[in-house]
Amino acid sequence: MEPSDEALCERVAKRDEAAFDLLVSRYQERAYRLAWSILRHGEDARDVSQEAFIRLYETAGTFRGKSKFSTWFYRILVNLCLDHKRKHKWWKLWVRDDDDDRSERILDRQPAPVNDPVDKLSREETLKALGSAVDRLAPRQRAAVLLRVQEDMATYDIARVLECSEATVRVHLHRALATLKKTVEKR
Amino acid sequence: MARHPETDLVPYLRGELPPAERERVARHLEECPDCKQDTELLRDLLGNLAHLIGQPPEVSWPRYRAELSKKLEARRARAPWWRRPMPLAFSTSLAGALLLVAVWGGHELSRPGDTIGLEEVAIGSELGLLQQFRTVERLDLLEDLEVISNLDRLASERQG
Repeated sequence: MEPSDEALCERVAKRDEAAFDLLVSRYQERAYRLAWSILRHGEDARDVSQEAFIRLYETAGTFRGKSKFSTWFYRILVNLCLDHKRKHKWWKLWVRDDDDDRSERILDRQPAPVNDPVDKLSREETLKALGSAVDRLAPRQRAAVLLRVQEDMATYDIARVLECSEATVRVHLHRALATLKKTVEKR
Repeated sequence: MARHPETDLVPYLRGELPPAERERVARHLEECPDCKQDTELLRDLLGNLAHLIGQPPEVSWPRYRAELSKKLEARRARAPWWRRPMPLAFSTSLAGALLLVAVWGGHELSRPGDTIGLEEVAIGSELGLLQQFRTVERLDLLEDLEVISNLDRLASERQG
């Protein structure tokens, strides 16, 4: 039987390298994808997600098992992402970010091409606008939306990750989706 | 009509609400076409967002792991020595040395010289007279009184 994440974390606290390797392999893709979704930059996402694993190694002893391991780990990761965004906010305004130009990639990944060229154009424009709107969301709103749609997290778990109340998460989600809804309605 | 359950719609769609709240929202949606339409739109939006967010650039996972190991090693090297994990041989030697010091120290403490010192302290603490400093202070005075009371006898002895 596979050991649980929580059991592995306990072993990492005792400096069990094999347990750490196993946890990394379980979470590396999810961690990188979530970091990228928040940061929209491949290299930064790689660095920040690796830093999250280093923090996990260093602080595994502080995990008390009161929440799920994934919630505890995502809290580390999301906090690092939000810190990173805060620190690089002004810098990004001056430096063009290649990963930010994602419109082509978004469109490449859309399912079910539409036959009518007018409809297709309209749909592409809407999706492009929606992608930009997601990028413009406030960092915590975006994190809440991403944890919901990518990680399929419940409001309770998102609240634990973002260290706020469930009511605040509901407001974050409501505001974020209201913004995105407006973008769709404008089209 | 009750207030619009705007912030409850996302948890409602995910089926997170407790039964009573869920019932309240469902009833509201039956009565309020605007909220019903909003809910449908939210459902589509949440469904599409997962696709819309897309996938990050490809990563070579062996390279990712190699970088992570290197960074972790660098962090360990930077950590103060008392926070670094010790190799087994070193930690065993250190434990042995500490044990020796503890045994030797215990032996030294149990030597007679030290026992006397400790006994003195114990006796001292039990002497009520020493604890009453005022009495000790007056011992000199009692001595003086004895001299005064014997002055006549001392003087006659000197003359004799």
